[in-house]
Amino acid sequence: MKVTIKSWTGVATWRWVANDDNCGICRMPFDSCCPDCKLPGDDCPLVWGACSHCFHIHCIVKWLHSQPQQQCPMCRQDWKFNNK
Amino acid sequence: MSNKSIDLKLYWNKINYAFPILNDTIFSDCTGSEYDEVQQIITGMGIQVKIRDLILIHIEKYLRQHVAPSFWSKFVKVDEEVKGFQLFKSAVNDLYESVSNFSEMLRRLSILNSSCCDNKPIFGEKDVILGFKQLIRATLLSQLPLDYHVIINHFYKISFNVFDNEYESSDMGEDVMCSGCWNEYSDCNCAYIVKVFHDTNRKLMDLQLLERLTGQVLTNFIQLRIETHIQKLCDGTFDVSHISFLENWLDTTVMSWLTRIYCGGSSKPPPDDKNTQNAILQFKKKLSYYLYHSYTKLRIEQLFNIIIEYPESQPAVDDIKMCLDKTDLRLTLCKRLQSALETRLLHPGVNTTDILTAYVSTIRALRHLDPSGVILETVTKPVRSYLRNREDTVRSVVSSLTEEGASSELAEELAKFAAEADGENEKEDAWDEWNPDPVDADPKVNSNDRKANDIISMLVNVYGSKELFVNEYRTLLADRLLAQSVINTEKEIRYLELLKLKFGESQLHFCEVMLKDISDSKRINALIQQEKNFEAASKNFSSNAMILSAQFWPPFKDENLELPEEIKQHFEAYTKSYEALKGNRTLSWKPHLGYVNIKIENGSKNLDLIVSPFNATLIMHFQNKPEWTLDELHQVMKVPITVLRRKITYWQSTGLISEKCTDTYVLVDGSDENKSNTTTNQVQEMICEDDETESVMASAHDQREGELQVFWSYIVGMLTNLDSLPLDRIHQMLKMFASQAPGTECSLQELRQFLDTKVRTHQLVLQGGMYKLPKT
Repeated sequence: MKVTIKSWTGVATWRWVANDDNCGICRMPFDSCCPDCKLPGDDCPLVWGACSHCFHIHCIVKWLHSQPQQQCPMCRQDWKFNNK
Repeated sequence: MSNKSIDLKLYWNKINYAFPILNDTIFSDCTGSEYDEVQQIITGMGIQVKIRDLILIHIEKYLRQHVAPSFWSKFVKVDEEVKGFQLFKSAVNDLYESVSNFSEMLRRLSILNSSCCDNKPIFGEKDVILGFKQLIRATLLSQLPLDYHVIINHFYKISFNVFDNEYESSDMGEDVMCSGCWNEYSDCNCAYIVKVFHDTNRKLMDLQLLERLTGQVLTNFIQLRIETHIQKLCDGTFDVSHISFLENWLDTTVMSWLTRIYCGGSSKPPPDDKNTQNAILQFKKKLSYYLYHSYTKLRIEQLFNIIIEYPESQPAVDDIKMCLDKTDLRLTLCKRLQSALETRLLHPGVNTTDILTAYVSTIRALRHLDPSGVILETVTKPVRSYLRNREDTVRSVVSSLTEEGASSELAEELAKFAAEADGENEKEDAWDEWNPDPVDADPKVNSNDRKANDIISMLVNVYGSKELFVNEYRTLLADRLLAQSVINTEKEIRYLELLKLKFGESQLHFCEVMLKDISDSKRINALIQQEKNFEAASKNFSSNAMILSAQFWPPFKDENLELPEEIKQHFEAYTKSYEALKGNRTLSWKPHLGYVNIKIENGSKNLDLIVSPFNATLIMHFQNKPEWTLDELHQVMKVPITVLRRKITYWQSTGLISEKCTDTYVLVDGSDENKSNTTTNQVQEMICEDDETESVMASAHDQREGELQVFWSYIVGMLTNLDSLPLDRIHQMLKMFASQAPGTECSLQELRQFLDTKVRTHQLVLQGGMYKLPKT
C-alpha cells in the first residue's frame, strides 16, 4: 500500500516570544490586544525596552506621554526602545 | 207559573241555539237578526254577565277536551321526514279550522260582552277574540307532549332544504334528483312544499303560536345548520377568508327563510309591523353571534395547523382576529392552542429544528392575530421552557440563522431586521392609536417590550442571555472555519455584520478576529510558500496552516497526537519561516486539528480522501508496517488506547484495515483477490469524507466547569475558616464576595453540581447536608 499526501492543512496558534504573559500596563495578555485595539498581532504589536520589559506599544506610548519622565513602569529605569 | 217556566225553557233553547257551545257543539246556523232577538232576551233578563261567564267556561272545557288533544295527537315520534311534514301540516290545518269554526260564535259573544259593561277582562284581554286566542295558547301549551319537536323539526328541515336549494341553484346541472325535496325532477315537490310551508306559517302566525311552538325548535335547527355549513365550508382550507361568505349566507339563505316564516311568505317584513321586525332582528343578532362563535371555535381547533401553514393561511388568521372581537373566546383560544402545542410539538419525538420552525410561525401568526403580543406570551410559555431544556436549541437557532437556502427563515428574518433598522421611524405620533393591554396581560411586563420583541430576540430570550447565544455562535463559527477547505469568508463576514446589528459590536468582536485570522492565514501561507528555505522542505506535498489568535477562539479540546516524522519536520520548517516573517512571534501547533488530502493506492484500489490528521497518521503507520497492536500504536502516536480503538473503525469501514484478533490490526492487501470484496471493479475510485463531524471545541459544559473553577479558591477559603457550611450559605457568600465580575453568575443548581464533582474527586466531604474540607 502506498499513501501519498497531497496536501496537509494544519492548525496552529501564534504567540509572542516574551518573558511574561500579560502586559504590565493594561494587564491584558500579550497575545490579545490593548484595550484601545480591536485586532491582535500586527495591529497591536509589542515593544521591548532596554530594560528587557515589554508592553503593548500603545500602552507604553500612552504611559510615556502621561509621565514627566520617560521611565519603565516596571523597574523605573529610563525607558529606551530596544530595537533588536 | 208554568207559563213562565215554558218561557224560560224557550229562552234557554234560544240562547243554546245562539251559543251551541253550551251543549258542547260548535255548529249553529243562527243568523244576525236571530241573535239580535236573543241578545234582547238576555239583556231584558239582566243575565248578560252570567251567560257570558258560562259560555267562557264551556269554551275552555271544549278546547281542553277536544281541540288540544286532537292537535297534539298528531305529534308522534316518526322517523320519516316527509311523514312528519304531513303530520305537522295537517295538525296545524285542523287546529286552524276548528278555531275558525268558533268565529261566528265569538262575534256573538263579543256583542254580548259589550253589553255587559262590567269591564271584566276576558283571559287578560279586553277583546273577546284576543282573549280567545290567549285561551287557545294556554290550553295547548298546558298539554305539551314530550316529543312535540320531532315533527316540527322534520317540517322545517324539509322546507329549509327546498329553500337552501333555491339559493344555490347554480350546480343543479345533471342531477336527476331535485336536491330540495329528493324527488326526481319529473315530480319535484318543491313548489307544493313551499306553498304548504307558507300556508302553515301564516296560520301559526295568525294563531300567534309561531314563536311559542316553533321558536326553540327553529333556533336549534338553524344552529345545527350553521354548524354543519361551517364544517362543510372550512374543512382543512386556510387560504380563503370565509367570514364574509358566511355572513352573506346567513343574510340571504337563513335570514330570508326566517323572514318568510314570520311574514307568511313575503320576503320583506311589513314596514308597519314593528313586532315582527323586532322579532326578526333579535333572531338575526342571536344567529350572527352563534355563527361567529361556532366559526371561531372551529378555527381554534384547527389553529395549530393554521399556524404551521402560516403565511399561506393568513386569511384564516384574519378571520379569527375579526371574530375574537365579537366573541368571548380569547381564553379558549389560549388554552386550546397551548394544549395543541404541547401534544403535537413538545415531546422527545420532534426535532429541535422542527420545534423552532413551529415556534417561529407561531410568533408570526400570533403577532398578526394579536398585535399586543399577550396571547403570544401566554401561549408560548411552555414552548420556551421546553426549548430551554433541550441541549441543542442554541445550536439549532444559530445554525439556522446562518444557514443558506430556502428553508432558513431565520436568516431572512435577520436580513429583514437589518433592513428595518435602517429605516426605523419614530412612532411617537401614534399616541391616538393607543389601546390598553387586554385583561389577561401580565402586568409586570411593559407592553412596549412585548411589542418590540422581534422573532430573533424572542428566540434568543428562550435561552436567557445574549452571551450564551453569542458563545454558541462562536463555537459554531470556529468549527465551520476549521472544517471547511474552501472558506467563503465574504459570506461569513456578511452574516457577522448582520449579527452585529442584532447583538451589538462588542459581543461579536471575537468572531471578527477569528475571521480575520483566517484571511490573514491565507496571506501568510502565500508569503511563506514563496520563501526559499521553506520551498525546499515542502517538495513532496503542499501544506497550509491556519494561524489563529488563541485568545479569541473558543478553547480547543485538548488532544494529543504524535505526527509522523516528516510532517513534524515540515511544521518546524513552517514555524521557522513564520518566525522569520513576524519578528518575536512563534507558533504552537495543534496537531490533531486541520485536514489532510491523501491518496491511497492499495493494489487495484485507489482512494482519494480528505481525512483528519489523526486518520492520516494512522494509515501512514500502516504503510511502513502492515500489522500493529493497539499498544504499539499507542507508543508511536501517544493517543489513549480507547480513542484509538474507536477511531480505527473509520479505516475498517473503508476496508483497508481489519482486526486480525483482539486489539491487533492488519492491513488488507488490495491485490489479494479473495479477501477484497470489491475486486469486480478493477479500479474503484472512492471519494468518501471523514465521517467524524464532532466539534473540535470544548463543549459548553466543559467551559462552564472551567469558569466555576474560579470559585474554588473562595470556597476552600470559606470552609477553612468556617469549618462546614450548607449549600445555600456557600451560594450566598459567593454571591456577596465573588460574583462582582460579569459572566460569573452561578445558580444554586450549578453550584450543587460543581460541589458534587468535588465530592466525587474527594476534594470535599458532604456530611448531613454540610460541605466540609476533608481532614488531611
